[in-house]
Amino acid sequence: MRPRRDAGPAVVHRLAEAGDGLGTVFLVHPGALAAGVHRTLAEALPPGTGLTVLDLSGHPAYWEAALTGGRADTTVEELADRIGDELAALDDGGPRTLAGWSFGGVVAQALVERMPAGRRPDRLVLLDSIAPTPEYQQPDEALEPPLLLGWFAMYLGAKRSRPVDVDPQLLAGGGTEDGLRHVLAAAAAGGALPADTPPAGLRKLYGTYVDGLLRNNRLTAPYTARPSTVPLVLVTAERSLLPGDRTLGWGPLAPHGLEVHRSPGDHYTMLSRPDAAAVIARLVRPAASARRAPATKV
Amino acid sequence: MPVVTAVEAQQWLIEKIAHRLGVPSEDVPPETYFDELDLDSTEALILAGEMENWLGFELGTTTLWYHPSIKDLAEYIAEESAARAGENHAASA
Repeated sequence: MRPRRDAGPAVVHRLAEAGDGLGTVFLVHPGALAAGVHRTLAEALPPGTGLTVLDLSGHPAYWEAALTGGRADTTVEELADRIGDELAALDDGGPRTLAGWSFGGVVAQALVERMPAGRRPDRLVLLDSIAPTPEYQQPDEALEPPLLLGWFAMYLGAKRSRPVDVDPQLLAGGGTEDGLRHVLAAAAAGGALPADTPPAGLRKLYGTYVDGLLRNNRLTAPYTARPSTVPLVLVTAERSLLPGDRTLGWGPLAPHGLEVHRSPGDHYTMLSRPDAAAVIARLVRPAASARRAPATKV
Repeated sequence: MPVVTAVEAQQWLIEKIAHRLGVPSEDVPPETYFDELDLDSTEALILAGEMENWLGFELGTTTLWYHPSIKDLAEYIAEESAARAGENHAASA
């Protein structure tokens, strides 16, 4: 008989082992999707390049907050220190790159600035992360149903590997219940969910998704980020969480430079699409600074 | 709200899971662990929401994690249902 589970997900997920001195990419992951979603990136990296995902969900206070109402009894700084401890324990002294997706990028940036100067990476790669600056920190009330429902449809599509295309006009100005009906119709049409999916079930899924977003929003709201002491490399998805916003607010936090690249896909599918992984792999591989793809300097 | 027994909860779970998987109920043993089923976390949460609707009370989302088999979860639901019925009875006495 298998024992009852007493703990949540693990922090460390080694998706590819390093070999031939090519180094390791350490990627800070904030949950929402399983850490294994980064396998596409692991496959896109040159053979011998390691990929280790550091999942914030391994921190119980963070993980459970998405399942219990969205209030985490922790801080960005504490998460950064926890991930920093894991990173220090894994560091073999070889080449390494640090990256973070979404809220994981915020924690990764905090982590770099809390490292001793001699231990910092030569750059930080941010995957569709929104900057934790006053201009981009939002109160919960700013996250209105049409915005959240649009993101939820994107997330659901990524989770189910099927398109969930909802006309934004159908969500605009409407409430959550009406919006969920449109999301369910689109999910059923695209094969992402069975047409007989009960509304109560979809409501539960949506509520958990929103609690995860609120958790990250509430962690970011009181946090004051230090400007980066290393160059930042930002990869935005074609369908980012903030469409049309090229830098996602990172300019004021990047006195040592901000490169901006674009990947195919949306905020979620940029992690699972091979064409997006090819873009990201070129940017994150250790000691590859000289071979990086052309970028826009900000 | 009537008390849900472990047998009733187990039967409900097996029927719903069998329907979702497109297999007969007999093919879903109560000892099955959720992570052995071809259900991803999306489907598990949808199932949890449907179950809450049926039970008439909210289950913590971590419940599925900490009670990882059908039988284990059914027993927990029965305990929770009885405890809530007891609270309601005391409140109305």
